[in-house]
Amino acid sequence: MVFSSLLFLFRFLPAVLLCYYLVPRRARNLVLFLFSLVFYAWGEPVYIILMLVTILVSFAGGIAVDAMKRGGRPGAARNALIVSLAVSLSLLAFFKYADFAIGTVNTLTGAGLELLNLALPIGISFYTFQTMSYTIDVYRGEANVQKNLISYGAYVVMFPQLIAGPIVQYKTIDAQLRSRRETPEEFAQGVHRFLIGLGKKVLLANNAGELWDTITAMTVSEIPALTAWMGLAAYTFQIYFDFSAYSDMAIGLGQMFGFRFSENFNYPYISRSITEFWRKWHISLSTWFREYVYIPLGGNRVSTVRHLRNLMIVWLLTGFWHGASWNFVAWGLYYGILLVLEKYIFGRYLEKLPSVVRHFYCMFVVMLGWNLFMFGDFSESLTYFGALFGSYGAGLWNSETVYLFYNNVVLLVLLILGSTRLPKKLGDAFLACFAGKDVVILVARGLLYTGIFLLSVAWLVDASYNPFLYFRF
Amino acid sequence: MNKTQSWNIITLFAILIFGFAIATIIAPDTEYSETENRTLAQMPDFSLEALLDGSFASDYEDYLTDQFVLRDNWIALKTNTEQALGRTQSNDIYFADDDYLIEAHTDTFTAEQAATNIQLLAQFVEKYAGQFTDGHMTVMIVPNAVDILRDKLPAFASPYDEGEYLEELQVAVETAAGRENLWFDARSVLQEHRDEEIYYRTDHHWKTLGAFYVYQAWAEAQGYTVPTADSWQIETVTEEFEGTIQSKLGIHTVTDSIELYLDPEDPYYTVEKDGSGEISYSLYDYSALATKSKYDIFFGGNNALTQITTRAGTGRKILVIKDSYAHCFVPFLLSEFDEIDVLDIRYYNQELSVLISEGGYTDVLFLYNASGFAEDASLARLLY
Repeated sequence: MVFSSLLFLFRFLPAVLLCYYLVPRRARNLVLFLFSLVFYAWGEPVYIILMLVTILVSFAGGIAVDAMKRGGRPGAARNALIVSLAVSLSLLAFFKYADFAIGTVNTLTGAGLELLNLALPIGISFYTFQTMSYTIDVYRGEANVQKNLISYGAYVVMFPQLIAGPIVQYKTIDAQLRSRRETPEEFAQGVHRFLIGLGKKVLLANNAGELWDTITAMTVSEIPALTAWMGLAAYTFQIYFDFSAYSDMAIGLGQMFGFRFSENFNYPYISRSITEFWRKWHISLSTWFREYVYIPLGGNRVSTVRHLRNLMIVWLLTGFWHGASWNFVAWGLYYGILLVLEKYIFGRYLEKLPSVVRHFYCMFVVMLGWNLFMFGDFSESLTYFGALFGSYGAGLWNSETVYLFYNNVVLLVLLILGSTRLPKKLGDAFLACFAGKDVVILVARGLLYTGIFLLSVAWLVDASYNPFLYFRF
Repeated sequence: MNKTQSWNIITLFAILIFGFAIATIIAPDTEYSETENRTLAQMPDFSLEALLDGSFASDYEDYLTDQFVLRDNWIALKTNTEQALGRTQSNDIYFADDDYLIEAHTDTFTAEQAATNIQLLAQFVEKYAGQFTDGHMTVMIVPNAVDILRDKLPAFASPYDEGEYLEELQVAVETAAGRENLWFDARSVLQEHRDEEIYYRTDHHWKTLGAFYVYQAWAEAQGYTVPTADSWQIETVTEEFEGTIQSKLGIHTVTDSIELYLDPEDPYYTVEKDGSGEISYSLYDYSALATKSKYDIFFGGNNALTQITTRAGTGRKILVIKDSYAHCFVPFLLSEFDEIDVLDIRYYNQELSVLISEGGYTDVLFLYNASGFAEDASLARLLY
């Protein structure tokens, strides 16, 4: 199930809110757990078994690790942790990477092994990372063991962040799982956040996606350079608005149930270096890799050679996490190399440049990165790269370019402005201007929320296009 | 936000999600959408099997979307917003000059089905070209408004060129037949008259005037009596027609008129549908004018096999294999054929070869519109 659907808005959400707030406090985690299972199982019920196995293994792993630590057997605790992690990673490897491995073996040896063609269980990359963070944190003594299977299950399968993050680390939410207080202020904040996310997804990301689809449906060698750039820009905005909207909705929904998830995006497209970009893009994933891979490897407190090795390992894994295909690996390494270059070679020169230039550099590099990312196949990326730089003799533009531009110029302007802090600043300025005049603010909020909601529903009722990009991961 | 404000926001949100949730539950389901001219998805039957394979889930979501309360108004809201933001198209439909709404058919001709259908028609032609010799078999594919009314499209719009597809189709059928005079070039005829009222502004069909021009040119090529515009008594039966394209956008722009070209001599003929034994004496179903789909005044809409017997006395009997573009075209044939069998293969479940071998036809006319032909998923039946 996805948030941006009539089913979620008018069946699932009313039902879960009603049940959640009608049952006594101690049953609320159970309500969340059960509804989340329904949410997950909807449309693909078989993988619910995989989900329950993952929950049980890591739950048992946490208890075993904790018990052995308390029993003074750190070696055994370590073994229990390794077993638990191995099971989680094997499941992820099998369901996400098996066909990739078979394909690679086939290419290298010509073995001709048959592919498994398994459907990717939705959200497996996200929830596997969550369960791993839990057992590791228990082992490290950074999180308390959770002895209530329902509460633990609710953490793993919690529907707001189940499918596309943010990746919530258990230790950040442990206390909230045990006792939390839902307040009207938090709930209203959640409504605000959820509706902003809904609008970003349905009105901005989907329309950007339609533009991208129109352009990508053309024969690549015949599209003029400016059309190719418009397409790449559309994809660049689609992936940001799609993914960050999902995080907005997740955070907003969490607030409605009294949870506070950490932020996942912080205006990445106004960054002025790649280093900055990765501090602002998919923050929960970078944090995860930093805490569980980079720092354990020694981070940057080691020799330069080892530091370089650590960075490359992290970025190789980051790329690979996004998909079982070489172009994702290349995309990860691309950023790994850029970050090394910024840190050791040209970062200090970059800082001296005017910020416009730095911003331009950053977005240019990020967009070329998406060119590597968006096709799932090297040769297609390469072909599209050629179109961006006019290498097929299709010219700079044609009448189609003009048509697409003037039909989407309003959208593009909204996408650009929406990527900056401007909307937030305007909102804050409005609130400051009418401070104390509660009625004005209330009316303005009411109009904004109702407007976004009604327009989103209109687009959903007439939906021909509503994918979630991060479903694949 | 303070507590009071928060409660107000929560109340608003609750009204929105619970309000529409309840409204969608209590609003009665409808079978058929008059505005959209299609049957709507219904509540799927529940079974464990359907639940486990995910089909119940997807059917239920289709049901929810199709039966969503105030569906037409939501679609109109979307269309109006897009127009307000300066878009010149919505849902693959151009807002063209002179209030024309014109379907772009963006993916139609590049889809696999389009290529398959060229092969299927070529095979059909190959199969029967020996039986229907020179001049007795005609393939007539009528281009859509997007092709003929190109001048009216928004500035710089560059839709797929239907001419390319039609050329490919022409080559395929001529090669299959081994001769050249069975493709009738309706496109050139319509292009000559592109400044006249030959397509509806709100519907995907051509107007009777367009059909008339094409018939006139075809009759001349065939050596039939060539009618002129004043051979007919032209009757405007409605000026309130809001067609299928407008429905897809959920908005009301202008209305179209529908004209019938009637023979002043009012010749006698009989019409029998699907071998039912029920005889009627008109190709026009005036009761359709009281409904949304007023184009159904021609033929009373789609049915599999319509058999017309006239007193033309020419000794010719024709089989017209067609889609709904033929509905306003067939009346022009009344004076040239003793018998006219009009076949819609999409609804015909029997073997075509049997019909042709037992029908005693002298002529075959294959008449479709270009996008309808390219998208038709039932053309394999041509070879049954």
